[in-house]
Amino acid sequence: MTTSAYIHATDDAVVRAAQRGDRTAFGILYSRYARMVHGILLSRVPYTDVDDLLQDVFLQALARVVSLREVSKFPGWLASIARNRANDFHRRAKPHDELTDEATCPDSNSPALPPSPGPHAFTQAHAALDAIRSLPEAYRETLILRLVEGMTGPEIAARTGLTHGSVRVNLHRGMQQLREILAGNATPLTGGEL
Amino acid sequence: MTKRPIDPRPEMPTPNDYLWDGSGSPDPETQQLESLLAQFRHSNRPLTALDEISRTHTTSHSSRPSWAPRLAAAAIILIAIVTGLLVSFRSDAPPAVGPGWNVANLEGTPQIGSQSVFSNIPAKKLYVGQTLTTNSSSRAALSANDLGEVQIDPNSRVRLLQVDSDHKRLQLEVGTIHASIWAPPGQFVVDTPSAVAVDLGCAYTLHVAPDGSGIIRTTIGWVGFHLNGRDSFIPAGAMCATRPKVGPGTPYFEDASQSFQDALNAFDQLPESSEPSRSALSTVLAEARSRDALTLWHLLSRTTGTDRENVYATLAWLVPPPSGLTRAGVLALDAHMLDLYWNALDLGDISLWRLFEQNAVPHAAPGTKQMLLKKQSLLNQSR
Repeated sequence: MTTSAYIHATDDAVVRAAQRGDRTAFGILYSRYARMVHGILLSRVPYTDVDDLLQDVFLQALARVVSLREVSKFPGWLASIARNRANDFHRRAKPHDELTDEATCPDSNSPALPPSPGPHAFTQAHAALDAIRSLPEAYRETLILRLVEGMTGPEIAARTGLTHGSVRVNLHRGMQQLREILAGNATPLTGGEL
Repeated sequence: MTKRPIDPRPEMPTPNDYLWDGSGSPDPETQQLESLLAQFRHSNRPLTALDEISRTHTTSHSSRPSWAPRLAAAAIILIAIVTGLLVSFRSDAPPAVGPGWNVANLEGTPQIGSQSVFSNIPAKKLYVGQTLTTNSSSRAALSANDLGEVQIDPNSRVRLLQVDSDHKRLQLEVGTIHASIWAPPGQFVVDTPSAVAVDLGCAYTLHVAPDGSGIIRTTIGWVGFHLNGRDSFIPAGAMCATRPKVGPGTPYFEDASQSFQDALNAFDQLPESSEPSRSALSTVLAEARSRDALTLWHLLSRTTGTDRENVYATLAWLVPPPSGLTRAGVLALDAHMLDLYWNALDLGDISLWRLFEQNAVPHAAPGTKQMLLKKQSLLNQSR
């Protein structure tokens, strides 16, 4: 089938097609869920490793999707693969290999880095990301999906399988804790407004 | 790990909830964070290979490419393969330049040429012309964004023959690889001493024994296996053996009865139309289920005379022929009718294979095979 044939297809239908070996369908799943997987990984591993792990996660999903019995559980199943892959990453890393984004990203000209508007904004962005990562797991994951990946609350609920209520709680309480952390930060993000 | 909210109590929506869904008056604090953190966002661009899939499908159905680009592509493939092989024969020093695939150490100490791949060096690459070797205690993985991943089991030896946007070619001299491919169908090809494996689907395992024989097992999608004019298509759940100088055997589903598998194996190895061969064929036909239409379809072109008539009769009984197909046409091995029948089995769209044949197979495979046989001969003489 062509991509256009899947545009209005439900996730369940696309997952079933992917299980039959239809790679166009798997491509659709990638386009629908890449942001979610990227956000889950970013909440756990250094930014410079996220793209490689993103590929790993979809490769694992590609190899295992045929064994997924309840297609409606695809979102949670994929999220679990991403979380497990991030955990594996930390288990395999030697103590001296455990790099922070700051350690790996001092040079803003490196092609592995995101484009940066300037050293000050670069520092601010990493400070904000670190602050989010210091939050409890449920808060940090939901906040990264909202603030970094640009997903709305309803989208996050649909993609992760969480209820709207849970996502709303995670967003508001996570944001509240984030404000407290940033307010106590020695380097305020922007002139002390946050 | 099960993800749970810290406090699952639902909160009532508020009329102005920018944080929730971007509605209402923008919250400057949230906007500021969004703006700062946007640089870490996923690019929203699909992986190149996945993005090209639909284009490939469309091309295969809607238009025939002109001869000039096809001849040019074939010439480029041929030149690249011959150049790569000549370089590999004449020098032990691998060229560490040009396109390559990422190499990951999964276990032990795999080697690229004479250089070890250590686990704490993440940026190692295998370049065109280089060979990756694993011993009894090492494993490795090759990967590329527009390819997927190929895991190399212990006691294996692979050489990278070609990498460009439309063709990725690997040579498996001995050992086992597990390929999970999302490059468009027909782009990823593995040469072995007894057949050429062409990815038409997603995931498979390919093993080559020291004597050059091989076996392929497909787990997702389907794979084409060919040599010396013999083509075998192996869909998910099926497997197929190959033998040097003979090429691919007849594919079968792994859940077929043991007597079916034994008889098919005997049929593949016995002289055509001999009495033992006919006896084996009778067992195959008697044991066949609807699902084994996969095997019977292949047997149509591997039998003659009354044997083929018997194969057709059983196949037509198990899977009724689609409209536009005649008994006489199938028995005469009309290519169009055979393609129609294959597509009726719903195991994969054969137009993908035909497109691959048009673009690459006739030019690349024979030369590769000759070079492989020559190299094996040289190796044997040196021992």
